Amino acid sequence: MEIKVLGISGSPHRHGNTETLLDSFLTGAQGSGAAVEKVVLKTLQYSPCRGCNACHKNGECIVNDDAIILYEKILTSDCLAVASPIYTMGITAELKGFIDRQQYLWARKFILKTLYFSDDSIRCHKGIFISTAGLGWENVFDGAFPIITALFNTTGFEYYDNVIANNMDRYGGIKNHPTALKEAFEKGQKIVAILKKLKTT
Amino acid sequence: MPIKVLAFAGSPRRHGNSEMLLDWVLASMIEGQDVIIEKIALTEADINPCRGCNACEKLNKCIQRDGMDIWHDKIIEADCIILSSPIYCMGIASQPKALIDRAQVFRSRKYVLKLPIVPPERKGKRLGVFLATAGQNWSYVFDAAVPSVKCFFHVIDVKDADIFYLMINGVDEKGAIEYHSSAKTDADKLGKTVIAELKTRLAL
Repeated sequence: MEIKVLGISGSPHRHGNTETLLDSFLTGAQGSGAAVEKVVLKTLQYSPCRGCNACHKNGECIVNDDAIILYEKILTSDCLAVASPIYTMGITAELKGFIDRQQYLWARKFILKTLYFSDDSIRCHKGIFISTAGLGWENVFDGAFPIITALFNTTGFEYYDNVIANNMDRYGGIKNHPTALKEAFEKGQKIVAILKKLKTT
Repeated sequence: MPIKVLAFAGSPRRHGNSEMLLDWVLASMIEGQDVIIEKIALTEADINPCRGCNACEKLNKCIQRDGMDIWHDKIIEADCIILSSPIYCMGIASQPKALIDRAQVFRSRKYVLKLPIVPPERKGKRLGVFLATAGQNWSYVFDAAVPSVKCFFHVIDVKDADIFYLMINGVDEKGAIEYHSSAKTDADKLGKTVIAELKTRLAL
């Protein structure tokens, strides 16, 4: 059975620390036989959520753009690896703008009750958060976690693991980090093996 | 000299709960004499997200030319900067996050280039206000928003102790805040407190 791994890069900075870390994760997953796709938010055309709540009535977003296409793709993936650098103690505005657009799925789940993920389904859909931060503070990712949790909860993924590395400014980039790229690669390999096992039992 | 207040309404939904909270604060501020208020809705402020290019660390300015050219100067000139945002998906909305990330130019100026943000005589005389509303009534619903907001105020030379917060949870549908037991009273009180504090600091 083919495992679909979708990587989303939320950095405006192409091939920077975060996207490189995501690439390492995806390479690991591909090496384990997964079908891997990477989407770079910067290359898409979408607007942030308008907060109009029109989706609360019919479960559809009134804005039809690349964000909706990407959400449909997320819903057909087995593993979602979402990546963002930390800017000002949070995820980027690009990724936040995309995540806020999930409101139509939230409305389907909690208002219209037309979308439901069983516990078994959630267990077979793994969410991974990938991030880097310039600062070395322990708490530098804390503002990102609740938002990523909200994304995985609404789209039916179990928030399985983080691949995070801080102190990039001191290391002079991810390539000089002693363990992060290897860790990302191995976690990519591992998640595919886990999903394969879950899907055959 | 009048007190200058610069207010960013961060919600993409115009005249919803977080903007109403902001309007209450502004209304109470303007009751005092000699207060000039400028309010802008971020949906109309033409602020692109930060590109993460770090050019501001060398140039001391942003390479992007957009509405931020104007807001940058106004942020420096203001005695009080107010930011309001709804909580979406456990964080501030993406529009205020874009404004906050674009404050990177101030962070580069302050911490990399070691240059002043405001003239020495105005240091310690600026106040910040963060206003937020959330549909969920969880007590921790604002936790992810606050660290970014603190960074924003720190880099524009508003000290941690000089940031005022009013965050109201459990208001979802448009206008729900009007029925909240204490929001309007607290907003009114906050506006008056901030103006009184500024008058003291500015010796007006």
